[in-house]
Amino acid sequence: MATGGGAGNKTYSFKVVLLGEGCVGKTSLVLRYCENKFNDKHITTLQASFLTKKLNITGKRASFLTKKLNITGKRVNLAIWDTAGQERFHALGPIYYRDSNGAILVYDITDEDSFQKVKNWVKELRKMLGNEICLCIVGNKVDLEKERHVSVEEAEGYAESVGAKHYHTSAKLNKGIEELFLDLCKRMMETAQAEERAKGNGASQSTTSRRGVQIVDDDPQAATAAGGCCSSA
Amino acid sequence: MDLNPKYLYIFFQTLSLQRQMMENLIIAKARQDALQRKMEERRLRLQEEANRRFAASGTINGEEQEQRVLYTNILEYEQDHDWPKLWKAKLKKNPDDATLVTGLVSCLLSCPDHPVIKLLKRLQYRVYNRLYPIVSKSLPASPALPMKPSRSTQSLLISDSHQNVSKSGTGHSLSSDASLNISSSHDHNANEAELDSDGPHTLDRENLFEDMEQFLTQMDRDPSHRDPDMIFEPSQLDQEFLVQDLEMHALKKHLKAIVKDIHIAIDQLLSLCLLSFECLNTANSKDLCVASIEEAFFTPIWSPLLTLFRKVHRERELSFESSMRLYQDASPGDVGVASKLYPQDHVVLHGSYPYESAVQELRLLCRDCCPQKKLECIVRTLRLICACAEDYCCLHEADSKTAAIGADDLLPILSYVALHCELPQLVSECAALEEFIHEGYLIGEEGYCLTSMQSALQYVESLHTGGFQLHNTKSA
Repeated sequence: MATGGGAGNKTYSFKVVLLGEGCVGKTSLVLRYCENKFNDKHITTLQASFLTKKLNITGKRASFLTKKLNITGKRVNLAIWDTAGQERFHALGPIYYRDSNGAILVYDITDEDSFQKVKNWVKELRKMLGNEICLCIVGNKVDLEKERHVSVEEAEGYAESVGAKHYHTSAKLNKGIEELFLDLCKRMMETAQAEERAKGNGASQSTTSRRGVQIVDDDPQAATAAGGCCSSA
Repeated sequence: MDLNPKYLYIFFQTLSLQRQMMENLIIAKARQDALQRKMEERRLRLQEEANRRFAASGTINGEEQEQRVLYTNILEYEQDHDWPKLWKAKLKKNPDDATLVTGLVSCLLSCPDHPVIKLLKRLQYRVYNRLYPIVSKSLPASPALPMKPSRSTQSLLISDSHQNVSKSGTGHSLSSDASLNISSSHDHNANEAELDSDGPHTLDRENLFEDMEQFLTQMDRDPSHRDPDMIFEPSQLDQEFLVQDLEMHALKKHLKAIVKDIHIAIDQLLSLCLLSFECLNTANSKDLCVASIEEAFFTPIWSPLLTLFRKVHRERELSFESSMRLYQDASPGDVGVASKLYPQDHVVLHGSYPYESAVQELRLLCRDCCPQKKLECIVRTLRLICACAEDYCCLHEADSKTAAIGADDLLPILSYVALHCELPQLVSECAALEEFIHEGYLIGEEGYCLTSMQSALQYVESLHTGGFQLHNTKSA
């Protein structure tokens, strides 16, 4: 059975950059997302794995993670780029977020200061990348609700005012993380599709667009692996 | 006189032999003519075939003309040699066999008469020829800025048999070869063609003078440029500043043009390669093909190319060097590495220093001569950092709860590793990688690793100015 033939035979590759202050938990957030599903149907890999074996290293890395998804029949490869939260590395931000399709801006709901930092990032991203980048503002550590210092109304109001979506998560309790990424993927796909349409009938594949949305043909092996579940027996 | 029949016989024999020889000569001549005619016919036929192939596009420009010529050469080559057919047949049976693809490409690269390789050599010479005048000029470094001779400049002087093919170290024969070749290959830009033969100081003369005028008027208007203490010799100082600035400007321009040329050259080589072996025109085979072409293309020219990059990035390298000296004995903690991510106990380290394996790996980067290999080296370095970090973490916590190394931890460690590498040229190497790595890689892990490396280098460069506060322990 050949699933997802025809127009669906595409893979979207998206780059998502992860921004936020030092201890807001952005690394554990993404680690939770990519690792938790490890034994599920979705194939999740620490991209490292194939070469890691070769080098015989078992380092656990969370700075660069990839995730493969299947959303409404479309394949999505997500590359998640973590950035350093420390102030002294902030000047280096632009080289990380260039060509990003999405950005996840994380703050700690118990830390007003970290929310201010998010606002600065939003300003910079909008200035540098315009409106094409999908922004997610994420209030992490909702397990510490009692110590909340950033009000829900303020955060959501702010997100709306800058055209971003707001989410509440807890990496500790694994809350809200799956929705966050799924939602972001859908939005990035919409943006990419709109971009394709805007390019119009130009059938020729100008895949190396400035924003790095790459549409690659599926490799046949992966297609059979995904579709072969109920065929041969 | 009586004729000895024996002599007569010999005489006739000789005569007939001579006649035969004459005939043979005539036949041979006729054959040669026929062959010539046939060759010419074949050439025309192939030319026609090439023309048919490119007929789709109506107008013919110089580039297409060149492509046609090259394609004709390929067809001609393939009639004279069997190996391309054999490989094509093999690949037809197993089109996705990566070892076959690499086998074919390396076979191709080992055939100096193949048009693809001839083109490769020609393009290489052209780049080399443009690099040579600037690079050779760089050897007597300008007095104010002493710089350690790099591996790259050394290898330019002393033919390094390990990494350079027979070409390196023989700049002169190369240049003369190249100038011969240049006349036959067309240039994309008349302006650039001029640069080919000119040294750096005669670069784009008119523009330079224009810029000079601009500078002068700017400085007249802006008094802040003038140092009041130097009131006696302002013009001389200005001029020195001007010359340096103009030289840098010219160098940057030159570098940009060369980078562009290299990109065009590789594209050209790839398309010719795919033209001669259509079987390689699949996504995977193409990638392998590009990798092999790049390796062949970059290996002999990397050292002079890097020298140019180093000239352009000299300021950055000097900053890096200053930081390096300042932080010679710094511990990982001094550059912000969390204390749990390195052992404070010297006994544990067995006389070495933290993250030594990563430092060693990163030092190997300068040995490779091809961007892709260098990028792989950076990826390995980052992996080693993660492996070390995990080991150190286990030392601290007996329950071996492994740490996940996020960017918050990674960047300080990477900065520490870069500092200990003691190779300022890393700055230029990475700048070059940035130019030559394919967009396709930039989104993936390789891209992430390169970006992290660039960030760490930039951070190290800024360290000596003291602009960053140290011991910033606000990390997760």
